[in-house]
Amino acid sequence: MTLFTLNGVTLTVPGRRLIDGLTLEIAEGAVTALVGRNGSSKSTLLKLIAGQLRPDSGSIAHAGRPLQDWTPRELARSIAYLPQVTPPAEGMRLAELVALGRYPWRGALGRFRPEDHAAVEIALDRCGLRPFAERLVDTLSGGERQRGWIAMMLAQGARTLLLDEPTSALDVAHQVEVLGLVQQMCRQTGLSAVIVLHDVNMAARFCDRVVALDNGRLVLQGPMAALMTPEALARVYGLPMQVAAQGGKAGTRLYALPE
Amino acid sequence: MRPILAAALLALALWAFAALTALPFAAWPALPWRAEGMETGQILLAFGLMPRGAVALLAGACLGLAGALMQAVLRNPLADPTTLGTASGAQLALVAATIFAPGWLAGGALPVALAGAAAVTLPVLALGARRGFAPVTVTIAGMLAGMLCSAVATALTLAQGHYLLSLVIWNGGSLTQQDWSGAAHLALALAAGLALAALLARPLMVLSLGTEGARGLGLGLAPLRMGTLLLAVCLSALVSAEVGLVGFVGLAAPAIARSLGARTMRQRLLLAPLAGALLLSLADGALLAIAAMEGPSLPTGALTGLIGGPLLLWLLPRMTTHVPQRAEAGDGLARRARRPARVLAVLAALVLALSALTLFGGRGPEGWGWIAPELRETFLPLRATAILAALSAGALLAGSGALLQRLTANPMAAPEVLGVTGGAALGYAAAVFLFPAPGPLELALCTAAGGALALAALSAHALRADLAPARLLLAGLAIGALASAVLGAIMASDDRRAWVILGWLAGSATNVTPAGAAALAALALALLAALLAAARWLEILPLGPATARALGLPMAQARLALILLAGLATGAATLLVGPVSFVGLMAPQIARSLGLTRALPFVAGTWLIGALLMVLAAFGARTATFPYDLPLGLVATLVGAPWLFLTLMKRTAA
Repeated sequence: MTLFTLNGVTLTVPGRRLIDGLTLEIAEGAVTALVGRNGSSKSTLLKLIAGQLRPDSGSIAHAGRPLQDWTPRELARSIAYLPQVTPPAEGMRLAELVALGRYPWRGALGRFRPEDHAAVEIALDRCGLRPFAERLVDTLSGGERQRGWIAMMLAQGARTLLLDEPTSALDVAHQVEVLGLVQQMCRQTGLSAVIVLHDVNMAARFCDRVVALDNGRLVLQGPMAALMTPEALARVYGLPMQVAAQGGKAGTRLYALPE
Repeated sequence: MRPILAAALLALALWAFAALTALPFAAWPALPWRAEGMETGQILLAFGLMPRGAVALLAGACLGLAGALMQAVLRNPLADPTTLGTASGAQLALVAATIFAPGWLAGGALPVALAGAAAVTLPVLALGARRGFAPVTVTIAGMLAGMLCSAVATALTLAQGHYLLSLVIWNGGSLTQQDWSGAAHLALALAAGLALAALLARPLMVLSLGTEGARGLGLGLAPLRMGTLLLAVCLSALVSAEVGLVGFVGLAAPAIARSLGARTMRQRLLLAPLAGALLLSLADGALLAIAAMEGPSLPTGALTGLIGGPLLLWLLPRMTTHVPQRAEAGDGLARRARRPARVLAVLAALVLALSALTLFGGRGPEGWGWIAPELRETFLPLRATAILAALSAGALLAGSGALLQRLTANPMAAPEVLGVTGGAALGYAAAVFLFPAPGPLELALCTAAGGALALAALSAHALRADLAPARLLLAGLAIGALASAVLGAIMASDDRRAWVILGWLAGSATNVTPAGAAALAALALALLAALLAAARWLEILPLGPATARALGLPMAQARLALILLAGLATGAATLLVGPVSFVGLMAPQIARSLGLTRALPFVAGTWLIGALLMVLAAFGARTATFPYDLPLGLVATLVGAPWLFLTLMKRTAA
């Protein structure tokens, strides 16, 4: 089944058309990179499929069902969304933040059951955050905090993760760590992920498929390799680029190098 | 630009109408004016009406500029010149001087008012200095100081009211002039203020990038903040001293400037004084025109809300989405109580113990002691009713304060900001004036109707304008300003019945019936249940709408339900004990300072602290000036504000 089906989606704000008649499908069970130049409406597209924004016209379906037919909590049980800027969580401990991810399952009043506690524990373990569980979120480093928010998405139990530039404030080591975590979760437990990414080489390394936008229009979609040609890169980024191959233990990787 | 031109023409036309009615143009005095050679009408025009028009423009401009500076430096669209307690300090100084040392007023109100403003604002700024003038700390300290001053001033007015009529008019802001000196003072101040503001414009623009961004660009934060605050305080203190309390212009003018498209700091600092000048001129012109048509003569400051309130409501939906960045609290990381349950237990025990003490102990004709056995049958039910009403009202107000602060992530949010209190007060005033001898039922019904109307207006507005919290608070303030404009006019009308309203405004639990107290207690318990049930919402909502939506929170419904809950709780409490809204602002702050940071202990703790403050207030109100009762709101503020001020100071040292 396709994860998301978009049909003629349009979104306009005063003075600008952000998404211009977009029709595309995003496959299930893969890590999809959403790339494009600044201002190409990558984040807007992510907010649209996350149900954060409503399109002016056109339809968006998730798992074959139009988004507006999902109740908010149903949708949150199926899709977890991480905004580009995570808000400060004043006075909250990490374990408590992760436990908020169980809201879609238990609502405002439902009691926490053993499986909820288990989901929180597993999420903390998988993100390697066990030692930080009792720390205040605001005292964690940038990378730890970002992993904390991803742990919250895991505890949410959603099968689809939507991440808006999750690595923009992290150093190279933490970028690899966070994206590796997402990739590993998708491989091991069959989750799907859509990630807005700036760094084309990070996308090439961690993502299976790619959707490229320019000015709210689709430029390219397909397997990651389709982007990694000088011609396709020039079309997406408007800059002549070379592609170099480098063999390693994990097989041959492709790198894009601006000329 | 067209609305500005239209407003300017209208203001001019109103003034000209009043002037021409007073004296036909042919008889206007020729320059240069010499009072000796003029007739009375000419003197009144040249040294009364003309400087008055100038003062309206200048005072409005000063207030607009002060408001724009304040909002820029405190990064809060709800800040205005009264935020730092400046005007309240001036008011208290004048009240005290009128009662205790009338001789000091011989040289005019200006020195006394300026001294009062300085005496209140300096400690606030001193506290701010220890925190690098972090916006949230300065704002809270300022509001506390202001609340304290106006509570004391109200109590003095109530106690010595008969001598203070002139002061009530000053409180309402009167632009009446006898010569050009006021206009000259204000013109000098405005010129200096504009010049300094021009120097501050670029650093303030940099500051709007946020603290880190500003530091990164090499900006000294503390000097900039102190300089800007000082300038704004001086401007508003001068206006207070010259023309009295002119509310709402400082809040509305920057908002109007923004909605007219002032984008950069420079544009805002220019357009806000213009908007303020026009707003005050329109209000004053309208009053002059009314007076010229043989209507009643009313204080101008009270009426700015009448024009500015609806104007702001009309403009709000047109405002570009303006979400203020998170203001910096300045107290580092939030302290967390290690055992919140224990803190809550101690609070609950304190509430019970103090209630018992207030019930049985007290001050009688023979001094302090327990209530005599033979008096128990008569007095205990009366006391129990008053105590139950006071603590329920405290819990209700504090609970809705906690709710609003979590919902809007704004530590300045308080029940009074929703305008419900204002609406209820208007309803009460209507009952006092409509019925010859209003009984408790008429009063209760009218007050409830007033509160409900304000709440309905607010919800309708909120539903239309997508319920962004910052706009909602502005809408609530606009409704509140509207209400206080009418109340101010009533106060200034020299009517006996105004004192009844003033007494109710200060808060009292002595007239509550047992049934009313029981109903209030039931409501307070219901609110606690609702708060505990909504604790998970209140945990998620401060994380922002994106996260809340991603977690499947029904945003529109949740916000509407919580606002209605807060409104109803406020309305019910106001109905019985008067608008004692200090509790709604203070209790959540005290809960935070006790380290109750998570939603559940926070709301429960705030609820308990509200009850505790009001029991203390009930005890103090009954015993401090035995046999006379003090207003509840005054005592609650006297208890809570200094304590909170001290914790603010102490947390710096740690």
